[in-house]
Amino acid sequence: MNASRDIARDGSAPLKARAVPARRSFGWLNSSKGLGIVLLTPALMLVVLFFLAPVVLTAVFAFTNMSTATGITGGAYQVSPGTLRVLTDRYGMRELAARLGQPTYIVDEEGLAALEEMGIDPGIIAGLRDEHLGETYSSRREFEREIRDLPDRPSTRTVKQISAEFSRSLANARFGNAGALVAAAEAIDPDLGDAEKEALLDATYTGWTWTTDNFRRLASSPQTTRVLLNTVFFVALTLTLFNTGFAMVLAITTHYIPERPAGIFRIIWFLPRISPAVIYVLLWKWLAWDTGFISAFLDNFGVRPRNWMLGSATNAWVFVILINGFVGASMGMVIFASAIKAIPQSLFHAASVDGAYRWQQVRHIILPHLKWPILFVTCYQTLSLLTAIDHILLSTDGGPGGSTEVWSLWVYHTALNNYAGNLQYGYGAAMALVLVVIGVVLSLIYLRLFNYSALIVKPRIEH
Amino acid sequence: MTKHLLRTTAAAVVLAAGAGAASAESVTISVWAGGSGPNDNYRVDAIEMAADILEREAAIRGEELDITVEKKTDNTWDDFKQAVTLAAEAGNAPHILVTGHEDIAPWAQSGLIVPVEDYLNLDAWPINDIYENLMEISSYGGIVYGLPQDAESRPFFFWKEHMKAIGYSDADLDALAEKVEAGEYTLANVLEDAKKMVEQGVVEEGYGFYPRQSNGPDFWQFYTSFGGVMEEDGKLVFDKDAMQRFYQFFVDAVEAGVTRKNHIGTPGDQWYAEVANGKAGLWHGGTWHYARYVNQEGLEDFFGTIAFTLIPAGDGGRPNTLTHPLVYLLTEQDNEDEVAVAAELIKIASEPRINTLHAIKSAHLGIAHQQSNIDLYANDRWAREATERLLPHANAMPNNADFGVYWNAMWSGLEAAWTGQKTPEQAVADVEAELKNSLGEAIVIR
Repeated sequence: MNASRDIARDGSAPLKARAVPARRSFGWLNSSKGLGIVLLTPALMLVVLFFLAPVVLTAVFAFTNMSTATGITGGAYQVSPGTLRVLTDRYGMRELAARLGQPTYIVDEEGLAALEEMGIDPGIIAGLRDEHLGETYSSRREFEREIRDLPDRPSTRTVKQISAEFSRSLANARFGNAGALVAAAEAIDPDLGDAEKEALLDATYTGWTWTTDNFRRLASSPQTTRVLLNTVFFVALTLTLFNTGFAMVLAITTHYIPERPAGIFRIIWFLPRISPAVIYVLLWKWLAWDTGFISAFLDNFGVRPRNWMLGSATNAWVFVILINGFVGASMGMVIFASAIKAIPQSLFHAASVDGAYRWQQVRHIILPHLKWPILFVTCYQTLSLLTAIDHILLSTDGGPGGSTEVWSLWVYHTALNNYAGNLQYGYGAAMALVLVVIGVVLSLIYLRLFNYSALIVKPRIEH
Repeated sequence: MTKHLLRTTAAAVVLAAGAGAASAESVTISVWAGGSGPNDNYRVDAIEMAADILEREAAIRGEELDITVEKKTDNTWDDFKQAVTLAAEAGNAPHILVTGHEDIAPWAQSGLIVPVEDYLNLDAWPINDIYENLMEISSYGGIVYGLPQDAESRPFFFWKEHMKAIGYSDADLDALAEKVEAGEYTLANVLEDAKKMVEQGVVEEGYGFYPRQSNGPDFWQFYTSFGGVMEEDGKLVFDKDAMQRFYQFFVDAVEAGVTRKNHIGTPGDQWYAEVANGKAGLWHGGTWHYARYVNQEGLEDFFGTIAFTLIPAGDGGRPNTLTHPLVYLLTEQDNEDEVAVAAELIKIASEPRINTLHAIKSAHLGIAHQQSNIDLYANDRWAREATERLLPHANAMPNNADFGVYWNAMWSGLEAAWTGQKTPEQAVADVEAELKNSLGEAIVIR
């Protein structure tokens, strides 16, 4: 209400007086540049959240040794037989390992006092003092048996609390931070040197650390070249044969047949794109399994049934490329078909009058007009094929023998798939980062090819 | 209007308070089980049965305890482990996990799971009756992290009729188990017999020896058969020669035409249907296959049609089998009381009688001594014979946080050699390079 009153008052003000403050505060909205930023804000936020942030996080993860075992939120300090071995083998501190790592439970006044403070039943404390003061146990189970044998038998939970108070070693202990570990270690051995503390912290840390090791590993792994070549092979073949080649064939053929059948034809070719990936691939599997359609059909001609998809590396590639190609072809088809539609009909009529064959029309009218759409589809599909994973995962899962393992699938298998429950996020992220870099470099090259700046010439009607 | 507002607020407050009071005694415990098919429902149902008992125990003590058990089973392993680790990273891990023991090492290191020995009296029934070696397999670094949920072993199977077709008598087949155990019938004989079957047209080409069609712990048995060792003194061991002999065996099988080159990736259902219907001559599986063949695949006379033995020895190794016990694990939770309840539940679920339901229904082996005194278990021929013949020779995979990396490398090497992408020598060399690269000093290569 107040606002409208203000506007009303503004309305009655002299023109000069009104225009000046408005320009000062919102004047930049009058230019398309300023308005553009405002209108783009939601999109920018989405880009940052869903595109930029994952890339940044991938880059960060890539320089760590994160895995399920290390967790991603940071680690703790755990003294296990494994860490004691590291202390012995890597740092040569056998004596320290033995001193800290041997489970020891000593019933002493210090522990009893702690129990009193915790509010443990005085009867239990008295029992411990009378029967076990000064005794030492080298196993938790043995000590807990003694606690349970006290006249006032404590509950299991209390037994655990009591035994923890008398533990005088670091065996199997887990500490939330370095300070707690050092304090506990110093309580056992006050003369701990700095080097020993450092070694102890280093050996017992369970969390992730910064490292460039992932890239060293990637550079020296025999699998890297193989997977890289697989990826190049897959992208190049699918792209040329289907995503542009076959798409072009579809667009041109549908251009030369009557509108209605052409539409039906295009819809049919769109089916692979719109059907759910799982069902689409399942249909291919039914086709290719050794109990599937191809085998059943060829059986009539005396060909032994076999798994046609996983029969050999060549077979697997044929299927992987067909499966991905049929999906990819539809996009190129739509773009090329609409681009052909945009070519002025008069050109075709003129060509017909001149007696040009269909092929000559294609060669001299259609293809030259489709230069930009072809380039666009090529660029777009290269990038999307580089990260294509779903259809390969569902069909061959990289098999047989890793022959159709492409980079993105390799990333998935490393970072998110492990039979023994230890996913390697860090190494996987490093692999993914390589893909990101390749993608960015390719994009830049494509922008150059497109002559992007020429395509976005500044509007001339702007002030 | 104000009055109405007051009244609504009051009602809301009373309702909220009521809900709060009720939740003080009611606990929801979620349990997820991996690799569990239709015969494995007692992995999670046992927790529900345990909840009933625990509620009754609480009622007798005069406490009111209301436990709701949320159950979830997953047919696969990879997806299950992915789901668990990602849920845990997001802070939504279920209270109880039923998974393979090999997960203990990485998950303990990450703090995803907590030791059961922090919550349970290990000297109390029924934990004190569980086989000592299974308790060791459920431990990591001397701490008991889980309770065994089941045990099994992985036999080598022979289709009796096909064996007879190539000249074995009933007496020969009866003596086969002992001959395998004594090392007189080896993997070389396996290839020989499989070849005979294919040559004589008893089975189709590629069906003489019909191994597991997907990645699994089974393949470590062949590594052991050829003299390989997985871990020594807490350190992983990669025995190049043994690994190469093991790869070579599968390559030889393919070259002899007894195993299909494109075998890996065969649909699981198809595989089960084929072996349970006599399409294959020799194959290997697990004790739980008995339940699958009989319950789902319609095999009527198991003992009359199939002979089973240890995995035969190869060059330089010994006959063996692998036990891959599943374990109940407790995850780290903010609410300590819930973990304590979950701990009690897995303890009660380990009662011999409750565990026997799972063991017999799913054809796994028992976890405790007293199960042999339960009629359901003792009267089951499969449980009895498999326990006697196989379990004494069973190995287990090591609980080592780096084992997953080793396993992946082993499998990709085997897959590459099997499908002819690499020779066994190349495959082993690549595995070696990969392991040196990724594990460094954490693995002994020899």
